[in-house]
Amino acid sequence: MEERLYDLIFIARPATPEDEIKKVIHSIEHACTEKGGKIEKAEHWGTRKLAYRVAKHREGMYYYHQIRTNHGELISELERRLHVQDSVIKYMTIRLDEDLKRQKKLTEKREKRAARRPRRPAATPAAPAVPAPEQQATAG
Amino acid sequence: MAEEQKQGGQEAPPAAPRAEGGTPGGGHGGPGGGHGGPRREGGREGGPRREGGPGGGPGGPRRGKRQYFRKKKVCKFCVEKMDLIDYKRADILSQFVQERGKILPRRMTGVCARHQRWLGVAIKRARNIALLPFAGSAVGSTAPKAVEAHKS
Repeated sequence: MEERLYDLIFIARPATPEDEIKKVIHSIEHACTEKGGKIEKAEHWGTRKLAYRVAKHREGMYYYHQIRTNHGELISELERRLHVQDSVIKYMTIRLDEDLKRQKKLTEKREKRAARRPRRPAATPAAPAVPAPEQQATAG
Repeated sequence: MAEEQKQGGQEAPPAAPRAEGGTPGGGHGGPGGGHGGPRREGGREGGPRREGGPGGGPGGPRRGKRQYFRKKKVCKFCVEKMDLIDYKRADILSQFVQERGKILPRRMTGVCARHQRWLGVAIKRARNIALLPFAGSAVGSTAPKAVEAHKS
């Protein structure tokens, strides 16, 4: 299986203590090392207001991970672990590598197209001014 | 007298088609340009088709609240050359969402078809993770500040 890139976002209850969060993150890391995955990024977006009520909460602590793995089963394992945790009220995994591949392809296409087009030489301000007075002199 | 009759006879047939051509909404010569109009204008302006098209331009007699002429709208994503619409950027996505949370149609925002599809996917993902509402106003739609919290 080729390497896949996933985004994992989970939202924890607003007043969750640090220890609980550390437990959750530790279990994610543990699952990754077991199943063969690498955590590329780990971010904490802080406590944000939610767009709608989730589990009767209006705010939540957002945590974001980016995971690279060859094994798709890792994601179902992670989701299973997050589902079990009481402090996690919402989670979502998104597969990113196809989108990134497409983005890269489009960027390369665009750059190729731009390179093929003949670039116009930069118009210097002195150039048009020089012939104009000569023309006026000849006309006058 | 015979000549007058002949002239009368000759004049009658050309008069008939003129009357037919004069009726509104008919054929290619009619006002508004029918369905060929907006495309021609897009080509004359020299931009890609998708930029001129969705704005609608002066297309046909519209019966409704919309004004007859609308300025040409350009796809923001095409201009900025964004090849990936990030679902995490709720500040960008909320521009394309109504006050009630509904996704705005392409004809109002001027987004091209391809980016509208990607935008829809991104907005739905953002809704699932509570960055945008399903219904209601989008409160707290500022971009999240990323803080590196777990340095071991």
